[in-house]
Amino acid sequence: MNWTRIAAVDEVEDDAGLPFKLDGRELALFRSGGEFFAADNICTHQYALLTDGYVEDGCVECPLHQAQFDLRTGEPRCAPATQPIRIYPVKVEDEAVYVAVE
Amino acid sequence: MSPSNETAEGREAPLVIVGAGQAGAMAARALRELGHAGELVLIGDEPHAPYERPPLSKAVLADEGMPDIGLLPEPFQAQSGLALKRGRRVVRLDPARRELHLDDGGVQPYRACLLATGGGVRVLPALPPGTPGVHYLRTLDDARGLRAALRTARSLLVIGGGFLGLEIASTARALGLDVTVIELGPALLGRVMPPEASRWLATRVQAHGVRLLLGAKLSGLEAVGGGIAATLADAGELRAELAVVAVGQEPNVALAREAGLLIDAANGGIRVDARCRTSAEGVYAAGDCASGFDAATGTHRRLESWQNANEQARIAAAAMLGEAAEPPPPPWFWTDQFGCNIQMLGHGAPGLAYHLRGPLPEGREPGKAMLFGIDGDRLVHAIAINAGGDLRAFRNVLGRSLACAPETLADAGIPAKQLARLALGPASA
Repeated sequence: MNWTRIAAVDEVEDDAGLPFKLDGRELALFRSGGEFFAADNICTHQYALLTDGYVEDGCVECPLHQAQFDLRTGEPRCAPATQPIRIYPVKVEDEAVYVAVE
Repeated sequence: MSPSNETAEGREAPLVIVGAGQAGAMAARALRELGHAGELVLIGDEPHAPYERPPLSKAVLADEGMPDIGLLPEPFQAQSGLALKRGRRVVRLDPARRELHLDDGGVQPYRACLLATGGGVRVLPALPPGTPGVHYLRTLDDARGLRAALRTARSLLVIGGGFLGLEIASTARALGLDVTVIELGPALLGRVMPPEASRWLATRVQAHGVRLLLGAKLSGLEAVGGGIAATLADAGELRAELAVVAVGQEPNVALAREAGLLIDAANGGIRVDARCRTSAEGVYAAGDCASGFDAATGTHRRLESWQNANEQARIAAAAMLGEAAEPPPPPWFWTDQFGCNIQMLGHGAPGLAYHLRGPLPEGREPGKAMLFGIDGDRLVHAIAINAGGDLRAFRNVLGRSLACAPETLADAGIPAKQLARLALGPASA
């Protein structure tokens, strides 16, 4: 896998997200319950950055209309979203977080 | 199918939902998710499969293509065994016999029935639906008709400066029309927002080039050749090629009323308890048509919101199956207009002290802000402008006594989650 360093571990607070761009895509690095997740940063319902939303219990909630996505699977947990967001592999090495986008 | 639910004929009567809008469709989904495997019937008077209404005044009006607004995913429609009856109207409810009479003469028996009949547009007698150049917006067909009209018109008069009227004005302005909004009230959304927020929104509407007339008393209104003429008591005559009337909705409660169900005089809705049960055995109600019990205030309220439709659908579905349900989260509402996503938690009320976590975005600028409405030492209303993620942190704070000084909420230097923890105090830890 082609890993890219996104941030130092302490750059992302727990239950928060950090937006980043990779290969022209708008992506997000989330941290919840101490665990890191990488995902598409655009809500599948309507254009909004999920990093402006609310993170809790391994789930991100869109700031516009409270659509929730599971950060492990990307699946929507409630309306109004019906389509999943993409989730990308993440690894933590030497206090840094890496993401693979292929 | 459990034998205890079987009728004398040995066949279990179905669960039936009347009304295929947000509440009806979400109740159908909830009943299947809760494990109801028996017959399930959803009856709607529109020709379309159930769809979301919030986009009707926004994406559906603005887009050439049709955004996907369906409420029942294809796999659900194919696999759920739901009997969806479209274009069918229920004309009579007989709670004693547990039967619904349909407009095609058919009789639909039920074991439990959910009334999710929604509401219809409030009509201005001078401009009834069907008048050339006059539009109302409630259904997908209404939206398609208005969309087509907006494509060729140059000017639009929006009668009513509520949420719907303002959203339509915003969309029409973005399409390049010359837009005027007339509102009878002295302030925009004055019943649900404090004066500083009303003034801010009015300024924003005007910054987008919309002519806004507040406190506008109509003395004449008529369809004239090539458009609509409105005469205002103190601002002369206005003419526009099109008019949209958005002066509110009336709950559809005729079925319930004629069946003798208790109707709330104060709000016109079908009275239900905390489990969405009406006064008739086996009959439930949810969504815009229902006057639901608000545990926070101990009163009944009729709420016209997407969230309320979803929540009451979930609660009613559980009750229809004899199961308990989690109580609803605090009331939440959003509107997208003039480049802003505005959300509200709780309800505004006269006399609240508001604290601004600002600044309010000026002119057409982006930017985020919040307003916190305090009653004594309790947070009872919160408004977010482009700050939905921040607002979400205050869901648990709503209705509680603040553990911090109310003025602290105005401190934009403290991140929202941290501020919410301060407001909740040590009890939240």
